[in-house]
Amino acid sequence: MRELVARYLSHSISRRAFLKGMTGAGVSLVAAKEILESLVPVAHAQAQGAIEGVKVVEGSGGLCFAEQLIASGVKYVFGNSASEDAHFYEALVDRPQLKYILTPHEGPGAAMAAGYVKASGEPTIVMQAAAVGLVNAMGQMFNAYKEQTPLVFYSYRTDQSGRAGRDGFEEVANQEQLVQPLTKYSWLARRPEMIPETVRRAFKAAWTPPHGPTYCSWHSDFNDAQVKTEVILQSKVDPRMRVRPNPAEVERAAKLLVEARMPLMIVGDEIYGAKAMAKAVKLAELLGMPVTQARQMFVNFPEGHPLWVGPPPAARLDSLDYPKNPDVVINVGNKLQHNSPAPIIGRGAKFIDLRIDSGSIGNVMLTEVPLVADVAHGLDDLTAAVSQLLTGTLRNKIRTRASEVKAFHDKAATLRNLVMQNPDWNRAPMLADRVTREVAQFADKDAIIVHEAGSVNLHGFDFNPAGGRELFFYYGAHLGSGVGTAAGVKLARPNRQVICLVGDGSFIFGPTALWNMARLELPVITVVYNNHAYSGPHSRVVEKVPGGRMIQTGHFFHDYLGSPDMNMALIAKGLGVEGEVANSPDELRDALLRARKAAADGKPYLIDAQVARVGVAWADKPWTPTSKS
Amino acid sequence: MYRSLVLIALLSASTLALAQRGKPAAVGFPDAPGKEVLLEKCFQCHTPGMWMDQRQERRAWESTLYRMIGRGALWTEDEIKAMADYLGKVYAK
Repeated sequence: MRELVARYLSHSISRRAFLKGMTGAGVSLVAAKEILESLVPVAHAQAQGAIEGVKVVEGSGGLCFAEQLIASGVKYVFGNSASEDAHFYEALVDRPQLKYILTPHEGPGAAMAAGYVKASGEPTIVMQAAAVGLVNAMGQMFNAYKEQTPLVFYSYRTDQSGRAGRDGFEEVANQEQLVQPLTKYSWLARRPEMIPETVRRAFKAAWTPPHGPTYCSWHSDFNDAQVKTEVILQSKVDPRMRVRPNPAEVERAAKLLVEARMPLMIVGDEIYGAKAMAKAVKLAELLGMPVTQARQMFVNFPEGHPLWVGPPPAARLDSLDYPKNPDVVINVGNKLQHNSPAPIIGRGAKFIDLRIDSGSIGNVMLTEVPLVADVAHGLDDLTAAVSQLLTGTLRNKIRTRASEVKAFHDKAATLRNLVMQNPDWNRAPMLADRVTREVAQFADKDAIIVHEAGSVNLHGFDFNPAGGRELFFYYGAHLGSGVGTAAGVKLARPNRQVICLVGDGSFIFGPTALWNMARLELPVITVVYNNHAYSGPHSRVVEKVPGGRMIQTGHFFHDYLGSPDMNMALIAKGLGVEGEVANSPDELRDALLRARKAAADGKPYLIDAQVARVGVAWADKPWTPTSKS
Repeated sequence: MYRSLVLIALLSASTLALAQRGKPAAVGFPDAPGKEVLLEKCFQCHTPGMWMDQRQERRAWESTLYRMIGRGALWTEDEIKAMADYLGKVYAK
């Protein structure tokens, strides 16, 4: 309540948001209104003579920074200790609405912030100490850039304005330029009083679609300087960019879709971001159109829907079992990560691209109809246009097509379950598929699965973001994001079960967020697929050098993480999280029950699931170097 | 479920080549029952280089094939049996 009052008085929330927050905290509406009325004179007194949404603040640069973060809607700050932010920390003491989360490494800290943003849709900032901390965070900045996550980064320049350029302690020339290829905006405030403006602009750029990370910086002595400057509500500078598509292009797209022999929809993360899944379902159903999804972070269409045909196994549409040769393909909000010279969508199909990310439209694909728009508006307009074109004959054709798609969907669902017929299903150490299925059977019906097990393909979860299970996968591939992301997701969605699935290789890049889970009592269940190896790099090397000396001799230099084996449960214990090793399916099942109990008590839990190394050319006794070899 | 980056990277170069060439040359795959279904199904994603070095018993091949179901392959039990029979014979340990 104290926090809500502070936020209201600092103009960072509206009257309505104040009432909603109070009633959410258990205060009756009548009482909440009374409290609000009692605050009105205070708010008015504060605002007297001021322009609405603009507050003149006097104090240290660090204090002005904190005030602008509040005005920009920030509740959580993720940071690693930075002595030159002293005045910012001082300002936090009397600003309880701004909560500082100390993260012991900048990488997992930034991943936690990114997870929070993705799961809450609310702004936050990641703070590091100078260039030395920034470079630790830049791996996750890369992920945020690839994943279009609106995450703001800040670090000061240790070099003070009066001595910059002398190659001093922690100094690097043009620090803000380090991040330029990975950000939408990076800027060095030139004067202390420009700190709030610089911060505002960073938030504006990050949160204007297409989203992405931004970076702001200033000389460290600016934090200590006494200034008088304006702090402005973010809503006063937000362009609120929600674009409708060009109506003429909408008509062209609708005509193509209704006349198509076999249209196909690809869905992507802009749908999740715009909360437009129901609209995508509506358009697909209107046209009896099969739906697929190439690699993304989220699931953007219910996997149990009869028009869902699954993802393309080899990432390109021609690897789909069904439909073969669609003549019209519409992409709704998918960046389409092309990883080979061959385009994901073959040249034969007419292509409609509906996305807000106009910068990447037409880069690879021949685009018959570009629809630059917020996908929610685009889907609404397209659905309306298609409806007007439908005739009785067309509706019959669509019904027939929908039945055909459903028949494939049902057959595919049955075939996918054959994974459990594997003759090694009960083996120990376990098949990765077995671990996946045990977790799928264990997970709550509305669990959130954070997935950073690069060599593992999930199945059996039946994801459905509309009230069912949700997926938070990774797209950027700077590893070590999974545990941090899961912590951030749990912070944002405390009432949902959060399960983090992570490979041993990925886990060891970023386990420190476990400490944050323990400290903040974020009861995430983490399951490590531990085969003591990098499976992906192993397979790729075999593919590139078939029959080579590595295979003949069994000398793989780059992939074996055993000897000694890492015990992830002991690592977790060292970070304050209870855990255990599970060697077999039975042990895993029991461990999951203990994890559920721990979570019910508000405690995170980690299971180190022992997974078999299977595939081509894994030796029974993998080669390891010695100091004498 | 979703293709991992690992799998994408593994498959991309080879599948491009296959897409451009059409049906792959079946070098190293002598005629025997199950060959046609193997070439049709496995080459949807793989090149022969990925697994021609592998020699294992039929049961292990069967396990390998079922793991591909977990990676998104949609095969029937009969198709898996036919491919396991073929691989267990031609690529036996």
